[in-house]
Amino acid sequence: MRSYYELLHRMDVGPALSEEQWDLDQVAMTTRRIVEKYKLTWDPQVVVPSDPGLADAVFTAGLELARELGVFSRSTGRVVRFDEHELEEGMRRLPQALVLGEGKDARTLVARGVGDDRPPMVWAGNPGAPTPERLFLPMVMSWMQEPIVDLVTCGALVDLDGQEIRTGGPLEIAATRRELEYMRTGLRRVGRPGMGMLAAQSSVSELGDLAVAHPDYLRPCDAHLVPMLNELKIDNRNVARAVNSLEYGMWNASLPCVMVGGLAGGPPGAAVVNVASFILSNLACLSDYHLCHPIDLRRTATSTRGVLWVQSVVEQAFARNQPCVIVSDIYPKSGALTSELLYETAANAIAITVCGGHLEGCGSADGKAPNGTGLEARWMGEVGHAVARQRLGLEEANALVLKLLDRYEHVFELPEGNPGVSFDKAYDMTSLTPAPKWLAIYEDVKAQTRQMGLGALG
Amino acid sequence: MSIPSDVLRALRSAIENGQSELASQTVREALAAGIDPLVVMEEGLMDGAGALGEAFECGRVFLPELMLGGRALKSAMAVLTPVVQVRRESSPAGAPAPIVVATVLTDIHDIGKNVVAAMLSASGFEVIDLGVDVPPKTILERAVDVDARLIGISALLTTSLPYMRDLIDLLVSKGVRDRFKVIVGGAAVSAEYAARIGSDGTAPNAAQAALLAKRLLAPHPDALGVV
Repeated sequence: MRSYYELLHRMDVGPALSEEQWDLDQVAMTTRRIVEKYKLTWDPQVVVPSDPGLADAVFTAGLELARELGVFSRSTGRVVRFDEHELEEGMRRLPQALVLGEGKDARTLVARGVGDDRPPMVWAGNPGAPTPERLFLPMVMSWMQEPIVDLVTCGALVDLDGQEIRTGGPLEIAATRRELEYMRTGLRRVGRPGMGMLAAQSSVSELGDLAVAHPDYLRPCDAHLVPMLNELKIDNRNVARAVNSLEYGMWNASLPCVMVGGLAGGPPGAAVVNVASFILSNLACLSDYHLCHPIDLRRTATSTRGVLWVQSVVEQAFARNQPCVIVSDIYPKSGALTSELLYETAANAIAITVCGGHLEGCGSADGKAPNGTGLEARWMGEVGHAVARQRLGLEEANALVLKLLDRYEHVFELPEGNPGVSFDKAYDMTSLTPAPKWLAIYEDVKAQTRQMGLGALG
Repeated sequence: MSIPSDVLRALRSAIENGQSELASQTVREALAAGIDPLVVMEEGLMDGAGALGEAFECGRVFLPELMLGGRALKSAMAVLTPVVQVRRESSPAGAPAPIVVATVLTDIHDIGKNVVAAMLSASGFEVIDLGVDVPPKTILERAVDVDARLIGISALLTTSLPYMRDLIDLLVSKGVRDRFKVIVGGAAVSAEYAARIGSDGTAPNAAQAALLAKRLLAPHPDALGVV
């Protein structure tokens, strides 16, 4: 078993610093200096870069940042540093393959390579999206039932038997258990009881994770999140999640949501911080695999040019230098019953698949509303499989994504976003099938995307 | 080009580039050159801050630049304020009292709150940032301590939203609701929610939040005609 004693010790005795000093003087200034040192730049017309030298430089820069800064413990106001040997050991320890789920429904996540023709795993769901209890089970079943889906996740319950759920309140325990009851029920109903899950989304505090670390809820073959806070910060609550999971035997997924336009600066800085976050989370979040979830600070979506570039270059950086399992999140700006949701999903899925990642999504309407359905999860998987089947190259992928951007980029200028409609307006709640209008949009987008160059869509 | 224009341009540039020492030094030079302190503030510091805020909203600069600009402005104001002997009522928004900002109890996400705090600082407000995971009682106590007139609270998490309502309920129960304007924001907040809990408003981004604060604190709110 990995030891976390040393981590806890360093959280107590590391150099003291104020959080403002950490944010501005350490993270922002050091990142800026390293980006300049390695001459890292990006071109908005090249959102899927095909320069191996760039990917390697981003990796080296990220490792340097990780070595120089470490992480900041918000709970103790201390900096936790790791030496080069520890960082490299942490990277080497990360599994090259891990099995999620059990029995006939088990799936093996592997470290994919750039241009890998093995299809990405399709991890369906809208992690953390606020979801009323009345919609929860039908929503998750809408993606559990899709044959192309390998693994599942879910939103967060916002009410329980009509009661409001508060972060840190006792109801988080009951809500997270209810979430897992729904998940297990849904999987049984669709005939895939052994399917692997990423869950315990209904509890922001560590209470929920503690409450469901039991084979009746989250099994040791499932996974949960260990967030790293913006940027390069940890705290006792999230380390507690990791410790609990380590003791129980479940998979830890690191989740640094690096802000493009935030403390790291623009896309090059965000990519460097993302690489550093993954490297440090091996030790500070005790992670087994990584969730790649950069977010555009102003536009709050993963489908912007800057975020597409960061996801692409970070995945390539690891695939080329230190292969590991990376699952990349897709959080489009748009929601159900809009064509833009499908175009955004396709853009992310193409970039992720060709650069070496697995697919997780969709957090439709940026995961801010229960406006996601199984149909876009199906679409995400179909696009990913088509990219692998067609053996799409990086340059071809870039050309295709640029065409897709033309179809949806206008949504970022809409004052109210493009949230679409809630699940019950896009799906028949009894048959769990897409509304005819939603299906027609999907068929049209599929035909258009095929015509743009993804012929293997079938 | 006249000397005052050069100095004011240098001052704007120092703010836009987040150069704290240069900003305070240039304020000293401006005052030594006999430039009206109010002109130094409005045409130097505030213009620079405004340009920086616009650049952030357009994506030309990022959060560190905005925070550094806020630092530079604070440093310059430290030199200027005693000289001008500005009464509290004469700040750019017409509301000199500090603004208290916090991420509500149980929520530890601070980027959104930090962006708004930086934008408010860059707009000339004194901002007291209480950090994250702050209980309603603490927010109220600090707001009273510093004699704030506006409280800004943030939440990313839907399940942390109830603590926003708790703060407003607390202000009402203590009989001080009218003493403070309360603005709410963050990914989990909608305009409908902001209205439902009885806040004084919300804004879709940091620039709009700063405008909202100016409008709410202006002696004659309608005069600004924004948000």
